[in-house]
Amino acid sequence: MWQSGNSKVISREDQETLRSAQDIINQLSVILRNAQIHNPGNVAVTTAIDRFLALLNPLMARDGSLTLQLVGEYFYCNDVRIRYALEYLLNFDYLAREFKKREIGTVVFLPGLRPSDVQAFLKGFLAAGFSSAPFDALRDHVSPLERIRVDILKKIAEGERDDTRKVVKKVYYNAVSFSKGVMTKIKSGEKVNIRKAKRIVESMVDHLLEEESLLIGMTAIKDYDEYTYHHSVNVSILSVALGQRLGLNKKMLTELGLVALFHDIGKIEVPSEILNKATSFTEEEWKIVKRHPIWGVRALLKLRGLDPTAIRSSIVAFEHHMNYDLSGYPRVRRYGDLDLYSRIVCIVDQYDAMTSARVYSRIPLAPDKALSIMMERAGKQLDPLLFKFFTNMVGIYPIGALVMLNTRELGLVYESDTVFLDRPRVLIIVDRSGNRLEKGPVVSLTEKDPHGNYLRSIVTTLDPNKYRINLAEYFL
Amino acid sequence: MEPVGESLTARDILQTLIKARKNVRMYPDNNPMYLKTVDETFARFSRYLGEHEALTLAIKQNTIHHDGEEIYANPEKDDNFALFFFKDGVRELTFRRGLNRDEIEEFLKIIAQEFDREQVDDDVVTLLWERDFENIHYVVDEAFLVDIDEEEYERKAEETLKERLTDPNDLLRAYKDGFQGGEKTDTAVVPLSDGDLQMLVKELEKDAAGKIEKLVVILFELIYLSEKQAEIEEIFQLIREAVHYCARRGDIALIVHILHRAQHVMQEPSLKEGGKDYFTMLRYELGQERVIACLAHVLDVGLEIDTGAFGQFVGFLDKNAIPSLIHVLGELKTVRARKYIIDALIALGKKDIHAIAKGLNDERWYLVRNIIYVLRKIADRRATEHLLRAVRHSDLRVRKEAIKALGDIGSHDVVQTLRECLDDENGEVRIAGARAFGTMGTEVAKKIILEKASNKEFRDREFDEKKAFFEVLSRWKDQAVFEFLLETLRKKALFNRARNEENRACAAYALGLLGRKDAIPVLRSVGDSCGDFLRDFVHVAVRKLEGDQ
Ligand SMILES: [Fe+2]
Ligand SMILES: [Fe+2]
Repeated sequence: MWQSGNSKVISREDQETLRSAQDIINQLSVILRNAQIHNPGNVAVTTAIDRFLALLNPLMARDGSLTLQLVGEYFYCNDVRIRYALEYLLNFDYLAREFKKREIGTVVFLPGLRPSDVQAFLKGFLAAGFSSAPFDALRDHVSPLERIRVDILKKIAEGERDDTRKVVKKVYYNAVSFSKGVMTKIKSGEKVNIRKAKRIVESMVDHLLEEESLLIGMTAIKDYDEYTYHHSVNVSILSVALGQRLGLNKKMLTELGLVALFHDIGKIEVPSEILNKATSFTEEEWKIVKRHPIWGVRALLKLRGLDPTAIRSSIVAFEHHMNYDLSGYPRVRRYGDLDLYSRIVCIVDQYDAMTSARVYSRIPLAPDKALSIMMERAGKQLDPLLFKFFTNMVGIYPIGALVMLNTRELGLVYESDTVFLDRPRVLIIVDRSGNRLEKGPVVSLTEKDPHGNYLRSIVTTLDPNKYRINLAEYFL
Repeated sequence: MEPVGESLTARDILQTLIKARKNVRMYPDNNPMYLKTVDETFARFSRYLGEHEALTLAIKQNTIHHDGEEIYANPEKDDNFALFFFKDGVRELTFRRGLNRDEIEEFLKIIAQEFDREQVDDDVVTLLWERDFENIHYVVDEAFLVDIDEEEYERKAEETLKERLTDPNDLLRAYKDGFQGGEKTDTAVVPLSDGDLQMLVKELEKDAAGKIEKLVVILFELIYLSEKQAEIEEIFQLIREAVHYCARRGDIALIVHILHRAQHVMQEPSLKEGGKDYFTMLRYELGQERVIACLAHVLDVGLEIDTGAFGQFVGFLDKNAIPSLIHVLGELKTVRARKYIIDALIALGKKDIHAIAKGLNDERWYLVRNIIYVLRKIADRRATEHLLRAVRHSDLRVRKEAIKALGDIGSHDVVQTLRECLDDENGEVRIAGARAFGTMGTEVAKKIILEKASNKEFRDREFDEKKAFFEVLSRWKDQAVFEFLLETLRKKALFNRARNEENRACAAYALGLLGRKDAIPVLRSVGDSCGDFLRDFVHVAVRKLEGDQ
């Protein structure tokens, strides 16, 4: 499969352009926030506008204009993707949300921009917030302006989506077959190619940056025979996704993805008849399974000796079942706090395990049910802060949840919406007349009718496992 | 300089890159050749990209193409620029207009790496990926990441999945149940606040700390969690590895911590006898040359060292460390590092003086001299026999150090050897011998020096040597020496007067050092009636004695 190195990301963190582009987005968000509280003439707004222009002018002078574009979850500034910097996290999210609400895809600023132009834009922006046709309302305000142009948010064409889906699938299965290879190799005492492992994780990181929902969608399919390998990859993908929300840089994300991929490596020493047992474990079997974190440390350190990656992976392998309050296993004598990566993997591991068919209680839980159980554990077994980031990532209805809509349609949550956490995109699998759909439409629950009422809302959730719904039929 | 006006071809640029890679491999990045290479490469790229939007190179196993034309071919495996990229999956490279000097430099640094070495964890693509160049793009083929026997994985996995098709009846049951109310989710997502972000920032800061400390904690937990002796043994091997890791990073404090914990673990009843062995093993490991050499290197490059921790570290060393320490001592470049190692040898030496003494056989005089210093500081009688041997060393600097050391030890078994030194044909050795007797300070020593100084032949020695002997005498502040000095001072000679005057001057000098004021009148009376040479010494002595008041 061919894949292009993601090119639009700016190369150097210290590059001034990047800083100012980040500042510009941040500042625009500040202006809008202030404008929603105060009136546009308020000094808080006008000083914010002045600062905005001061940031904008050098870039406009250099490039002739400044184009701010929202693509997926990311802003691009003159075609350069702006990095998700921690200090700007909230303002970025806010701005993305406000853009999406108004269906704004692109704003172009041209040289000679004056404060009054920005004021007019603000007015349109605020008006659009109350309109049932928000983008049209904004355009009405902006079209007389010479130095600001806006364009509507583009929906990704389905054809294009199918292609990306294929790429993402490939990335996922590459990773699974690699993780299978790693386990077989370690078992037979062969060397493991760490460079390859890095490459695999890097391609996952790339696709998480670009196609987060699609890759997370792959983790929602749990019906595989070879649970362990899929589980490792799922935990790796979800950890990186969470790490990205925490503002970790690409290098850290790779490290996190690697250690997550190896978190259950100790299971190679658990006899497969126990590991793949169809019924519950006996007490004796549990004792054996619970030693996998210990065996993991040994396996990882013996793999290539001590180096930073080996050290971090063995820490996570050891700690991933210990729980935030150290109530899990292995039991320890003298111990400090759990490693950050361990706490991330712990959350993600529980989520994937609970929603899978082959471990723990042996009864897989519906994703939303798993989430609500985990909610109880936050602060005790799970790190409350990280869990908060996690729920903000997966939303109230995680990908793969089976939902009944008020339109009498039955659907599967297909993609979460980072802005409206309770309004994901849903794949309809049974239509309003009760007919099963082979290839149903994907609808966004954020869509409204001309009166501003939502077209569809979730009424209840159902357990997809109870009805043996095969997600692969719909997600692959 | 480039010929102006002529257009560069893609082939030219490629050759530039290949040449630049060689230079970047060869020169360190502060070397003028290096800087010139980067500048020139950048200049050529700029010229090319001034005329073209971009330069795209298509990469095959043994060839590189541009616009369908082959511009590089190499059938060999070694030093094959195409294969270099191809084997990691790169299939296309594009340099775009806007490419800056930093990007060129970073790119050259990446392609200059020797990826064949096994220790390198990254391949070309990983490095390109991490750098995230704005104007250098690449296309990779990820297929090679999958093992051949796993190529079918995707198809097979999909097939099995699709075998279990959803039963339409189940689906309709779900649809029906959906109207019964199902389960309403009670989850509520709390939006993130500024406070959350601040907490996150703190978490990330905390996370920047080293991880090896945590691993050490885990390894010791693993000992308690072990069920079999074999497991414990394995963990101790890992702890040993951790020690080496710390040594490479110069983390002496953590090594000490590991040893303390190991010592503690030893008392664990479940470990019984075995535990003691592991601790001993670990101590033995510390003394291995690969640990000591790492630490020595850290000392040499001047990294900050926790002196207290170093002392404790030495305390944990066993005598097997001595040969390693001696070996690195010979290699060290800084005084600071040598001092640490010498102190360690002094502390350890008592455990095995003979091991220390083996260092005397080294060919490097400075190392031998350091070893003598160590033996001297150990101040143990057992060191004597080795030092006695060193007195006959071929290097004068070594001999002097050995003689000095013998003086420090001062037992009567050194007297004979030192006495022989006083008759050595080398004046410096004789002086060193006299000083060693002075350091001994015994009655026997005094008698020997007095006897030498009274000897007729002594008068004919060099002035500096005589002065040194008299200076040594002055350390015995007793009547016998006092009288000898006065007698020498007053002594007149008929023959060889100049030599006699020297002796008298030495006596005057020594009286000054001796510090008895009743010498002043005698000095004065001699001073009134003697030559200039002697008078100068007399005056200095008088002034010194008066000044002492
Ligand atoms: Fe696990
Ligand atoms: Fe797991």
